Amino acid sequence: MKVVALYKWARDPEAATVRAGGVVDWGNAKMVAGDDDHAVIEVAKTLAEGGELVGLTLGDGDAAWAVARGVDVAYSVADAPYLADEATTAAIMAAAVKHIGGVDVVVIGDAEQQHPAVPGLLAGLLGWPALSAVGSASADGAKVTVERKVVGNIQTVSAGTPVVLGVAAAGEEAKPPGMMQMLQARKKPVTTLSLADLGVAADQGVTSAGTALPELEGAKMLEGSPAEVAAALVAALRSDGVL
Amino acid sequence: MSGAAWVIATDTKYLVSMVTAGAALGAAPTVVAVGPRDLAEAAAESGAGQVVWLEPTAGTPAEAYGPAVAALVTAAGPRLLLASSAAAARTLLGAAAAALGAATVSGAIAVEASGDKVAVKCSRLGGAVVETFEAAGPVAAVCQGYDAPAPGGAAPIESADLGQPAALTIADEHPAPGGGGLTEAERVVGFGRGIKVRADMAMVEELAAALNAAVGCTMPVADDYKWMDQYIGRSGLSIAPKLYLALGIQGSPQHTQGIRDVKVVAAINTDPEAPIFRRATYGIVADLYEVVPEILAALKS
Repeated sequence: MKVVALYKWARDPEAATVRAGGVVDWGNAKMVAGDDDHAVIEVAKTLAEGGELVGLTLGDGDAAWAVARGVDVAYSVADAPYLADEATTAAIMAAAVKHIGGVDVVVIGDAEQQHPAVPGLLAGLLGWPALSAVGSASADGAKVTVERKVVGNIQTVSAGTPVVLGVAAAGEEAKPPGMMQMLQARKKPVTTLSLADLGVAADQGVTSAGTALPELEGAKMLEGSPAEVAAALVAALRSDGVL
Repeated sequence: MSGAAWVIATDTKYLVSMVTAGAALGAAPTVVAVGPRDLAEAAAESGAGQVVWLEPTAGTPAEAYGPAVAALVTAAGPRLLLASSAAAARTLLGAAAAALGAATVSGAIAVEASGDKVAVKCSRLGGAVVETFEAAGPVAAVCQGYDAPAPGGAAPIESADLGQPAALTIADEHPAPGGGGLTEAERVVGFGRGIKVRADMAMVEELAAALNAAVGCTMPVADDYKWMDQYIGRSGLSIAPKLYLALGIQGSPQHTQGIRDVKVVAAINTDPEAPIFRRATYGIVADLYEVVPEILAALKS
């Protein structure tokens, strides 16, 4: 199978600083590997066995990250900016997947916490189905079989290709590549694409009217002796109907 | 504009709060319910104006009906599309939004009509800020929310054609082992590095038993101390209980993103500046070792 692994397509929310009044300062934060990205490469590698594994990143992130983890061919849409409109991000990805061509499976981080609509949008724009919350996958001829966790159940789903798989990592990466692998990976060529090459624009369908601190900032602080605060807390939780 | 907002639901997660939010555009939203009859009935009582019901064929996941949902949505041409972050719901939202050419944002907590624009307020950066996005054209949003009681009443339920489903088949489904029921629990007691030694977990467990709660922990407790297999947080489990009691937890963004759907958070920490107090509903600045026994006593009274 020809499999595209999408990685490093968002910024790390922890790179942002929230200033007075809720103003967000991103500094010059770059696209970084997301929490799910190492699992993306793992799943993509399994599916691409005997085929081709293509890495695709947005922005000027370091492609060696993926090459050192086993990607055969690396593409980057170097001038793709970080966008709030997930539909535009997905449109850039879809254009790149079409440009790469002949792709059977796109594997992308599930990104439930930050950009949860992107995998579904990407599939919608490609006209393919998508499955999210995927933990692992195997190839079976022209089909893929995925295992995923949905509402406390483990579900095995068989899917035809082409298909988009949103992968949720179960934890930290077990064995990151070493320094030697990273150095060797840097020697591999990366094909740089531009938005113009792909015929897409980074125009967003939303404009930000600004950021603010959440209204309900701060807890109701309970004060007194340990016995007093404990009694006050239990009384408050009972009156909220949560005990 | 009639039926200005559409809600796509594959389960009842945030259903009422999404319908309530969508009604801000002036009309009771239409709910597309992809699931069993129970879901369609819950949608009918959610405050929706109408329910369009797709009943999946046995063994076919909801995601397979992306083309049918996209066709229904594009035929109606709503200004606003909402869905929860449930895996199937946001996948169908993507299919519909792509077909509609809608801009898409996430973390939506409220919607307003703003002149001829739609303004969507989104919780960003793990709840640290609220960003307002304005859209002149159609906009889709993955929502955050809460499980509100249904207002009652009953909207009409109309069955929709399943169209040509995508080639997706459920081959097997069985309950996941482990997790300790954390993601399903109504109450959770979480602890962080404020618990000094492993033996003190017994105190946490005793409190959890008294509250009929599950026990969870932060990433360092699981990854560094190895006291538990799983943790609550962005890269761990996301939980949505009615009550989360945070013991000795600082409240890093990693952790607070995993509890953003919790209804009531009560936090006990010795550090008055701990970020957990910004997310908490109730805060106690004290030594948890002094307060927890008193909570146990108060629960018995």
